[in-house]
Amino acid sequence: MPTAARTYWLTTSCRIRRKDQSLRIERPEGAPVHIPVTDVRDIVACEAVDLNTSVISLLNQHRINVHFLSHYGDYAGSLLTADTSVSGQTVIAQVGLAADQTASLEIARAIVASTAVNVRRVVDRRLLNRPMAVLEASIADATTREQLMGAEGTFRRSAWAVLDTRLPDWLRLDGRSRRPPRNAGNAFISYVNGIIYARMLSAIRLTPLHTGVAFLHSTMERQRHSLVLDLAEVFKPLFAERLLLRLAGRGQLKPAHFETDVNQAMLSETGRKLIVQTVRDELAVTIQHRSLGRNVAYDELLYLEALQLTRRCLEGTPYKPFRIWW
Amino acid sequence: MIGPEDVGGVHVKYLYHCRRQLWLYARGMRPEQLSATVQLGEAVHETSYTRSSPVDLGAAKLDHLDGAAWVHEVKSSSRPSRADEAQAMHYCYRLRAVGVDAQGGILHYPKTRRTKRLPYTTQAAEQAEADIAEVLAVVSAPDSPPLLARSACRGCSYADYCWNE
Ligand code: SF4
Repeated sequence: MPTAARTYWLTTSCRIRRKDQSLRIERPEGAPVHIPVTDVRDIVACEAVDLNTSVISLLNQHRINVHFLSHYGDYAGSLLTADTSVSGQTVIAQVGLAADQTASLEIARAIVASTAVNVRRVVDRRLLNRPMAVLEASIADATTREQLMGAEGTFRRSAWAVLDTRLPDWLRLDGRSRRPPRNAGNAFISYVNGIIYARMLSAIRLTPLHTGVAFLHSTMERQRHSLVLDLAEVFKPLFAERLLLRLAGRGQLKPAHFETDVNQAMLSETGRKLIVQTVRDELAVTIQHRSLGRNVAYDELLYLEALQLTRRCLEGTPYKPFRIWW
Repeated sequence: MIGPEDVGGVHVKYLYHCRRQLWLYARGMRPEQLSATVQLGEAVHETSYTRSSPVDLGAAKLDHLDGAAWVHEVKSSSRPSRADEAQAMHYCYRLRAVGVDAQGGILHYPKTRRTKRLPYTTQAAEQAEADIAEVLAVVSAPDSPPLLARSACRGCSYADYCWNE
């Protein structure tokens, strides 16, 4: 997202107080840190954070959202400022599109197809050839989003099995499990996905779209921000699977980064710090954009994706979800 | 949909800059909140004209109205554009409508230390009225106006939206 202000990541539990136009961040150890509120774009709280009314009103004035991740890295919720860019006319267009079976299925198909392309690109092109062909056929046949989700699930299971062959024993997924993740590999994936979800929510809130009206996931069911689920989907492999393979390959992930019980696992404090740092660095990586002719950060790709969907809603321009092109 | 009274200086500015930008703005696109250009614009205000007082006319916000009823506008670009001029005339029109006898606009360009005086004439008044009608026509059109030529889009904060593929 193109702005001078920064995203602040809180990786230790702390209390946020207001000091004039600054946020005063107090930690159990060490001196408090003061951050001018104008330097803050948004906050991702990876640990328990205490805040009070005066902080909230300051954040509100400056349109700063705070995203909370649970211990497991599940997205726990956000403190969203009341002021958004949501526009009535755009939401009407968005709802119209979501209600139009043919149009919304076309968008959902595109999301599933691009996600799979990205998974395959990251995990293994050759071994996922066949599952990919099967998926493409099911996408073409699918007439409901449930069928699409089912087809995606089948493809994902093959991909996770292939992923396991490239991981050390202790990091293998043995199937995807959430809430709680059953093992270290799953804990890693959940945590990264939680961060990407939070970033995507911030990105969509900068557009006039409504975060609750979706195309692949069911609108406003269980998940309040179902559009975030739709758009985050295509980026998860770029971050979660890719970084898992990278950190495992370099031997940077250690069992000590996790707290593992018989049937559940979560990141330890050092593990959380390592992953947050890794994802932050990755979000800042830039690449030359194909049509904009300038360098964009990965983080900005999420915003551009939301803009592309806005264009689909407002102007009917075909939506081509993000595919790793490099 | 907006009515004549909702049309503000930004609408008029965008009408002259790019109709597509105006159409998108009316649909909630606000990338300018993020753009570095706008942040630069704010910095210009803070440092160059601290003693002027902003005037709020509802939909229209202008930088400063002096004692002789001239509208002052501080611009971060380096030279006057038709959009700047139309915007200043729009403010005069709005001021006249609420009974302030606006004399015209003075555009300030701190970057080049230039100023431009634009007296408010009958012709300017007619144009300001026509601009409002034109804004409403563009905004209410069902389809988006076409993109400008790529070179004309340079520096536009909507370029990410328009040219992203
Ligand atoms: S990028 Fe170009 S076409 Fe788009 S709004 Fe700006 S000037 Fe108009």
